[in-house]
Amino acid sequence: MSGNSSFDAIIIGGGHNGLVCANVLARKNKRVLICEARKECGGMVNNDITNYVPPVTSAVSSSIGGMQINYIPKTSIALSETGQHIRLVGNQHIDHKSISRFSSHDADRFNDFHEKMSKFSKTLGSFMMASPPRIMNNSFSDYFKLFKLGLNVRLLGKKNFNEFARMIGLNIADELEDNFENTLLQGLIAHDSVIGSNLGPRSPGSLINLLYRMAIHNNSLFGGIFQIDGGNDQFTKHLIEKCKSNNVEIKTSASVKNCIIENDCAVGVELNNGEKMYAKKIISNADPRSTYFSLLGSQNLDTDVKRKIKHHRSKGRVAKLILELDKLPSFNNCDDIDLDSRMVIAPSIDYIEETFNPSKFDKLSLEPTLEICVKKDSDQDPKLDIQVQYAPYKTHQGWENIKESYVESIIKIISKYAPNINECIERKKLLTPDDIESEYNVSGGHWHHGEIQIDQLFMMRPIPGASQYKTHLDGLFMCGAGTHPGGGLIGISGKNAAKAVLDDF
Amino acid sequence: MTQDLRYSALKKTPFHSRTSLASRTNKYYNWNGYTVPTEYSTTELEYTAARNGTSVMDLTPMGKYEITGGHAHQFVDYLVTRDLSEMKDNTVAYIIWCNEDGKVIDDGTIFKFSSTKFMLCCAVKIYNWLNDSAYGFDVTISDVTDTIAALAIQGPTSCSTLKTFGATDLETLKPFEMREYKIDGFDILISRTGFTGDLGYELWTDPKNAELTWDNIEIAGKELKLRPFGMNALEMTRIEAGFIQTNTDFMAAEDSLRPTRMRSPYEIGMGWLVHLNKNSYFVGKKALKKEKEESTTERCLVGLDIDGDKPAHGSVIYNSKKEDIGIVTAALWSPIMKKNIALASLKRPYGIQIKENIFAEIYHPEELEYRKIWARCKVVKRQFFNPERRNKVPADLYE
Repeated sequence: MSGNSSFDAIIIGGGHNGLVCANVLARKNKRVLICEARKECGGMVNNDITNYVPPVTSAVSSSIGGMQINYIPKTSIALSETGQHIRLVGNQHIDHKSISRFSSHDADRFNDFHEKMSKFSKTLGSFMMASPPRIMNNSFSDYFKLFKLGLNVRLLGKKNFNEFARMIGLNIADELEDNFENTLLQGLIAHDSVIGSNLGPRSPGSLINLLYRMAIHNNSLFGGIFQIDGGNDQFTKHLIEKCKSNNVEIKTSASVKNCIIENDCAVGVELNNGEKMYAKKIISNADPRSTYFSLLGSQNLDTDVKRKIKHHRSKGRVAKLILELDKLPSFNNCDDIDLDSRMVIAPSIDYIEETFNPSKFDKLSLEPTLEICVKKDSDQDPKLDIQVQYAPYKTHQGWENIKESYVESIIKIISKYAPNINECIERKKLLTPDDIESEYNVSGGHWHHGEIQIDQLFMMRPIPGASQYKTHLDGLFMCGAGTHPGGGLIGISGKNAAKAVLDDF
Repeated sequence: MTQDLRYSALKKTPFHSRTSLASRTNKYYNWNGYTVPTEYSTTELEYTAARNGTSVMDLTPMGKYEITGGHAHQFVDYLVTRDLSEMKDNTVAYIIWCNEDGKVIDDGTIFKFSSTKFMLCCAVKIYNWLNDSAYGFDVTISDVTDTIAALAIQGPTSCSTLKTFGATDLETLKPFEMREYKIDGFDILISRTGFTGDLGYELWTDPKNAELTWDNIEIAGKELKLRPFGMNALEMTRIEAGFIQTNTDFMAAEDSLRPTRMRSPYEIGMGWLVHLNKNSYFVGKKALKKEKEESTTERCLVGLDIDGDKPAHGSVIYNSKKEDIGIVTAALWSPIMKKNIALASLKRPYGIQIKENIFAEIYHPEELEYRKIWARCKVVKRQFFNPERRNKVPADLYE
């Protein structure tokens, strides 16, 4: 059948990785079809989900023939109930000055801390951009890659090597408490270490989360955080335009039921409406769990593969609250520039940990950790776009019964910083991880299609044996955030997957 | 009677009151957490009953799993390497199953009652494996090891014994078929299966019916040379029949620590049970297909006919240059064949292309001293003993 395929490749899911992958393939003269289940492409690069993005790397950008996107750098503010906010921009001198207003000790420490973290994130990052080695593959290039990572770590020098080894499994709270005395500063950095993950600041491994975040944010703690000029839709629009000019066919509202398998090889896809399409290669931009259990089908999987996918951790812990306002609330001691910044409500490590604790038991915290983005386009009513950390994927009482009270508790927290918030609200919309799962077809509603943790990184991402964008089924590939290096809207997975597919032609 | 298991390390089977009465040697061993006899009187006598009369063995500890549900047939076909898509109701099939690397986990028998109900029997416990494999299928797996009492009734007069016991028309039952009976008010399932390579049956019933069944079979077989037999005698008969034993002739893939010790079906003579052209996927298919295509099979399991009369227990096998080419996994002086036989795992091409000039180094113990014997071996079919009566329909009857 694959002999008379009408396409070279079918990509299941038109998220940004799918779009990047399609463009790379199309630029190598491959006929590509994208099947997107939703009415429009873009997936979670959506104003409803994402507020801030890291910049797309030049490697990704050049692989699709350049990206004309304007990135607007964003300042971060740790809000304090007393109005003593900390503002950080990602510039060594400015940040030193702002921190020294609270503690000169912390300010000096911050520079050293930043330098050390930056060095380690670079080491990690050097390994992140390429396809990961596959263990037990016995291929020379794979061993060489592994050797290179080892060498990069070793080249840090003995002192740094020991420090790197110490930090790899460490929790961020210990490291921050060792360095800083200001709890607000501790809270802000801890927040960025755990956001999007299933970890509290005191959970082992929360530090590597921060290194990962820094690796995709210009190796900086606060310097690589951007918004896209014109909204995230611009990013998607741009990629779709590229698709058009590269003759990529895009089919929306085309939900794929399963892969068509012939002679133990993926040869096409069947849509929910029964329509069948064939291609030489099938690429899934869906999360690993959906890819394996829905597209591939559990009757086509070895038991051990099922076990690995079942172990794959992909429960989301971030909810999104959108407050539509008729006027902007006034935040205590914040000016207009502050309102344009990324505002974080995470006043201390303990505060975050207290928020985290109930989520372990699928319960809600009434004092959630928040990241607030104020949206005030001149032609539209203002909005508060709020990331709510540690909203459990499922709750014991059922989300529908407690959504309203949860929203109220979030607003109550905000009112401590913006007392008149209640008067400004017109409409409220809460997207729980559960909602994200069903609306965006992402198992568990996880931002990154799976936890960014040591057991699910590099050659173990998403699972051992499927680490080079290949699945266990010949002809079926993966290009989503569930693959190495992971989520964060950077498009590297899409680009690397395209290379793996091209190598297989 | 329910047993208080709080202080007992090993469970007793529902036949224990009878097997312990029959035991003259007090030799027991632990099989899946049950205590069962290794030997009742003398192994040779029990073996002789199995080959000349009827032997009865308590099979209860064998792992038994019921697989029910809408996808039961589909699931069973997915679990094992053999193509079972055409399997008929009330039949039994010999099967093996593999892990994702195409290495054998265990062998066993699968009983099909209907397309929604199966029973799987095997030597070791595999509940977790079954359950994890069943993910995505509409099936329920239940461990019924403790709720079904089982006996093996094997030997040339076994059909007559069971007929006298009450199994009407049993002689018409074909090998690998099964039939439900109602005897003494109890449901009894009889299958023409066994592990001795002879005419024989296995009997499955409610534990409440165990003692009555044992007693009545003993009465029925009184004139037919019936004898209970233990594991040691079974071991003799199964080697003669060329049947393999998990963790004896090969290491179960889930149990072996060293990856190089795991064996593919092709390496233990079970290639005939692998149907790569099966329409649907089965666990291990990808790896097995690759092994077949790339001819990467490293070993083979063969039968050896060894010079002399000293069993080659655990012997290392050599070629003419005295290079180590394999090991004996099971050995025996076969009383019925009058031959010194063994099963051996050899490194290919030995055993496949090269069958000549193979030697076993036998260490024969003689009162605290070993006699070293250098014996020439002939590679032969693994099925050393295969009498016509084994598959004859109708089965032989005796009075």
